[in-house]
Amino acid sequence: MAKKLMKGCEAIAEAAIQAGCRYFFGYPITPQNDIPEYMSRRLPQVGGCFLQAESELAAINMVYGAGGAGARAMTSSSSPGISLKQEGISTCAAAEVPCVIVNMMRGGPGLGNIQASQGDYFQACKGGGHGDYRCVVYAPSSIQETCDLMPKAFDTADTYRTPVIILADGLIGQMMEPVELKMNDNPTMPEKPWACQGWDPKGDRPRAVINSLYIETEILDDLMTRLNARYDMIRQKEVMVEKYKTEGAEFVLCAYGTVARVCKAAVRILEENGIKCGLVRPITLWPFPTQDVHDVIAQDSVKGALTVEISNGQMVEDIRLAVNGEKPVDFMGKGGSIIPTAEEIADRVMEIMRRA
Amino acid sequence: MKTYWVLVGSFGSGKSELALNLALEKAKEGPCTLVDLDVINPYFRTSERGDVLKPAGVELIMPPFALDKIEIMSLSAQVFSVFSPGEGNVIFDIGGDDVGSIALGQYKARFDRVPPERINVLFIVNCLRPTAADFDSAMDVLAKIQYVSRLKVTGIVNNANLAGETEACHLAEGYELVKRLSEATGIPVWGSCGTREVLNSFKLYVKEQGLDPTYVGRYQAIEVMMHRSWDKFLKEGL
Repeated sequence: MAKKLMKGCEAIAEAAIQAGCRYFFGYPITPQNDIPEYMSRRLPQVGGCFLQAESELAAINMVYGAGGAGARAMTSSSSPGISLKQEGISTCAAAEVPCVIVNMMRGGPGLGNIQASQGDYFQACKGGGHGDYRCVVYAPSSIQETCDLMPKAFDTADTYRTPVIILADGLIGQMMEPVELKMNDNPTMPEKPWACQGWDPKGDRPRAVINSLYIETEILDDLMTRLNARYDMIRQKEVMVEKYKTEGAEFVLCAYGTVARVCKAAVRILEENGIKCGLVRPITLWPFPTQDVHDVIAQDSVKGALTVEISNGQMVEDIRLAVNGEKPVDFMGKGGSIIPTAEEIADRVMEIMRRA
Repeated sequence: MKTYWVLVGSFGSGKSELALNLALEKAKEGPCTLVDLDVINPYFRTSERGDVLKPAGVELIMPPFALDKIEIMSLSAQVFSVFSPGEGNVIFDIGGDDVGSIALGQYKARFDRVPPERINVLFIVNCLRPTAADFDSAMDVLAKIQYVSRLKVTGIVNNANLAGETEACHLAEGYELVKRLSEATGIPVWGSCGTREVLNSFKLYVKEQGLDPTYVGRYQAIEVMMHRSWDKFLKEGL
């Protein structure tokens, strides 16, 4: 399809449909309302089902049901609404139900504000719901990248039978950019013999059960062993990271989402000022690109690194773990949905360089 | 007597951008009022550019909560003041689609008292937006907007654009769509919009290809005033 000018929320919804998503359950909250609005119009056209649930909790449990029946199902919300979905996400993880959850992050905690934020990194990557589980987390930094990641998100969810989170900041949802969607009228769906699709007592297929209650300690441990083996495989195979001008850099910026784009502008400003600066941008926040981040920042040429976020500092903890004290890692960021400008970031880097 | 410009169209067709440009242009001729009647989107509204409008002498009427970054669909009672006798231009920036145009319906009694030749209702079309990409969907939105706004559209505007990636070929694509819309409805094409650079190459294209000037209309240069910082991010590519 030729390029179209699309709003992030619309593009995400269409990309999900092209990836084979036919079931969407959601509840309104700014700044992601355009996703359910678009789905409500489009899904009936492709033989799908849109349902506005009575609450976020109901919506994620409908996703649990549709995913358990083998369908590609999705829900979307923004930060406070995602908090309400956590119980359901934990249940999906425990029952090994694949699904995709889009979080258009807004300012928090509490009801916060409706501007863009990156305050839900901890929630998405370090648990969120209760129990010993992980979600694969993708953090796109443009509308095009979000569209490209949608089929990947559904594939990853199906391959590993896990919930997958698209962690986008509100900017991605609300801005308009030219995008090229890969239209796919007949997306291939994987076989799901485990799904609850009706049992034939005379057939040889065993009864499929979707369940998150494991009373016996050994049986719960079996599940956890199985999940952990899968998480290890995800760590090995699914890491995505962008390295921008990092080869032989004197300084490294670390950022994800739209902030990484501001950082790229800062890299250019620094270049004009004679500072060779690179950017490392995790695309998967879990699995975190620990090795790549380490290898970039621990290079001999690097004097230091600066993590930039629209939060008071969350991903910076994983950056520091990856660097393991080998180089100093500074942080720049604010709550209140305040996005730093490229000039501010460049100034901060120059200040750190002078100090070093 | 005042002249009224009512800008309607699909969501994301470029109404606010044209409204800002038109307001700045008309303010050079005399009194000009811009009414932000967008009840659809709390982000990217004309009210945000008060910093540009006020020094240029444009009076801005906006919803009381417009800049508080919250969503309250309220319209200022001040809107009625633009229908009082006087001179100059009044520009209405309306929210997207028919749902946005609903906000206009309540002013029907006031518009009825204005001579029809003083009311320009412009239907903005960006054929590169998926919601208005083809003839049928554009016709559908046009009919719905006229129904809920209780106003007749008087001009069609070709605003084909891909934000910073717009080229003359996109306007040429838009030309085909607005031509068909105009032929089907009898509504004239008011003009074609673009940045100065894009318009210049479109002018050449029009000449070379011998496009019918009736369906090109006036060349309306647009200086991009919304989304500035976003475009800046874009330049860095991905």
